[in-house]
Amino acid sequence: MSQTFENSYAPPLKGSPAIARKRLNKAKLWRRIKPFVYLAPAIILLSVWMYKPLITTFYLAFHKWNMVPGTEKKFVGFENFDKLFHNPAFMDSIGNTVFYTVGLLPFSILIPLVLAVVTNNMNGKMKNFYRGIFFIPMILAPVSVSAIWRWLFHPSNGVVNHIMLKLNWIDQPIAFFSDANFAKWIILLITGWKMIGFSVIMFSAALTSISREYYEAAAIDGASSMRQFVNVTVPLMSPMIMFMLMMSILFSSQWTFAYIDILTTGGPYGTSTNIYYEMYRYAFSNLNAGFSSAAALVFFFLFGAIALLMNAASRKLSFYDN
Amino acid sequence: MKRLAKGAITLMTVGSLLVASACGANSSSNSTSGNNASNTAANNQAANQVELGKLDPANPTKVTFYSYSLAYPTMKAGMEQLIKEFNDTVGKEKGVIVEGVPDATFQQYKADISAGKEVDVVQHTFNLLDSSRLGLGFKAYEDVFPKAELDEHLKDISPNALELGKIDGKMYGLAFTFSTPIVFINGKLFEEAGLDPANPPKTWDDIKKASLQIKEKTGKDGFGLSPQNGWVTEGLILSNGGRVLSEDRKQAEFASKESVDAISMWKDLYMNGASAKGTDTEVSEQFMAGNLGMYVSSTSLYSGIKKASEAGGWKVYGGPLPQFGDKESIPVNSGSVLAVRPDSPEKNAAVWEFIKFVTGDRGYTIITSQIGYLPLRTKLADDPNGLKDFVDQNPLYRINLEQLSRIQPVAIWPGDSATEMVTAFTDAIVKSVSTDADVEQTLKQAQDQINSLMP
Repeated sequence: MSQTFENSYAPPLKGSPAIARKRLNKAKLWRRIKPFVYLAPAIILLSVWMYKPLITTFYLAFHKWNMVPGTEKKFVGFENFDKLFHNPAFMDSIGNTVFYTVGLLPFSILIPLVLAVVTNNMNGKMKNFYRGIFFIPMILAPVSVSAIWRWLFHPSNGVVNHIMLKLNWIDQPIAFFSDANFAKWIILLITGWKMIGFSVIMFSAALTSISREYYEAAAIDGASSMRQFVNVTVPLMSPMIMFMLMMSILFSSQWTFAYIDILTTGGPYGTSTNIYYEMYRYAFSNLNAGFSSAAALVFFFLFGAIALLMNAASRKLSFYDN
Repeated sequence: MKRLAKGAITLMTVGSLLVASACGANSSSNSTSGNNASNTAANNQAANQVELGKLDPANPTKVTFYSYSLAYPTMKAGMEQLIKEFNDTVGKEKGVIVEGVPDATFQQYKADISAGKEVDVVQHTFNLLDSSRLGLGFKAYEDVFPKAELDEHLKDISPNALELGKIDGKMYGLAFTFSTPIVFINGKLFEEAGLDPANPPKTWDDIKKASLQIKEKTGKDGFGLSPQNGWVTEGLILSNGGRVLSEDRKQAEFASKESVDAISMWKDLYMNGASAKGTDTEVSEQFMAGNLGMYVSSTSLYSGIKKASEAGGWKVYGGPLPQFGDKESIPVNSGSVLAVRPDSPEKNAAVWEFIKFVTGDRGYTIITSQIGYLPLRTKLADDPNGLKDFVDQNPLYRINLEQLSRIQPVAIWPGDSATEMVTAFTDAIVKSVSTDADVEQTLKQAQDQINSLMP
């Protein structure tokens, strides 16, 4: 087999004409520029949509500004951060953010993993039917979902209260969305219910890439279904499990946002709010862009640290079937 | 070594960013303060010689009107009729086209002002008016409309109502859709409980007795007032001799003994097992479904409640805001003002035409008969060509008109932290009424928090 090598470089000849040197320099220059031309679309998009807003957030975090065009951005140093850490609502929202992050893990990892494995063992049509059912909540618009859940849990006209009263489980109807003992649990339940479908699809995709030979070998060795799940399925799915874990931790606040906004607006008395909703309120309700940016900056570093930790954990814990 | 280099680069980058942001701050503040100075000078000049631009019917001026009424099913049709009639009559003749923008949560106008869009007229709540005046460029009526025309237009509106939108002596909002709290009564449930709906409870003690009686006899909740209602709360505090803000609006004062007693009474009522639970929307839905005996709210819900009662086969009655013992109740106003921010003489003229129409005789006839708010031109209620027939058929409005003589303005929270103050106040009330939290301590904490935000 023969191979050819393209080489545009020619060693300089003694006394070669200037025009040849010029052409040579142009080719060299183009070769150097070419990678940046290929990268340009990505660099431009990232700069406009990611890095510029990020730098602006840094800048605004040290200013007081109400976002009205033409108004003064007043430099206030670290005052926004000082106020932020003395703001009881902000501290409460951090507690709720942790609650939603941890509370979503069963819905994004445990339940979907079991459902994906169970449906994987079904035959073709049933498998698709069940996976379809699990995925439907994911594609429903949050506003419609909220309206449905709001009616289900309505204190006087809702079916949930009606059934619980009929079964004598409660004496008085419960106002789920305005009772501090229930509001954030309902938000968690709705978000989790929506999440399950997405995770099931991701885990099912990962399951199909596991070779059947491992299960056959394990079965010949006398491994039970449970043993196969623990010793074959889980290790081989660990990259996907770690990925979903990171997604769930980093995005739980975003996924709960819509339901907080529509169903409780963070109430009663801030007990169901989370950090993203508070940031939104600081900026667009209180018109305090600096305060909101300061909160965003704190969480930029916090979530950044979590992402780095998760990456490191992923490298250590994931098992790849090469 | 590589790590050291990386660390140094990161430190330098973060350092240079901080320096850049600080430098940017200085340059930006210098340039914007320059702009502000010139703007102030221009405004002063405009204030001295307010004149309206010329409107051209062939080339109409567009006015944007941000309205929460356009976003609520019970009020939408009435507000749309108001805008349509203006566009088809005065607007067409003079050259003005009004475009309504629904704004249910009072966020859209803020977002659009921030985005640099033209926001000309806003149906604005009373409590955040000062904050918008300071931060969002809303203008005083005296600064954008000619004094003679203004005086002529306002002469038939009750002076009490005109005071509601004034800050530091200037009118930053003209009371527009406006009501006082009344007790809506489900006649059917009242009769089933052996009560007379035509003789509504007068005091809070009467309300408690009636609510327990309704619960006992019908199994349905007797009384509903959501702790998150946002405005009736202030009427309760004032009716018991308390205050929400000091007279000079420099201190919050809602943790006094009178206020604590008023909120404690409400808590007792809320916890007595005969009160509706839930958000204000949920409680109103419960009342409209015929599952609640009494519900305190604004007459702006009347058109929706009336339709629901007719569909459900029951009759709606009403009573005034209940009083504490023999002290006469002091209702506060619900509803909105029209806040304006025109930016040219032509826009001043266009906005003024719209304001004149919607707060004129025809405007209030539509607002009262189609939506349910009070006519601020109260003489319309006795005018056979105005609302006399309507008020005779719906006597509930008489209660509301009678309450006007005792009305006090809802608190306008001062400074640019008004939204935070409203949230802190509402949260404290919700916590005090709906949980086991100590009322005095909860109100005191919120009062201290709000006072620390005062300008």
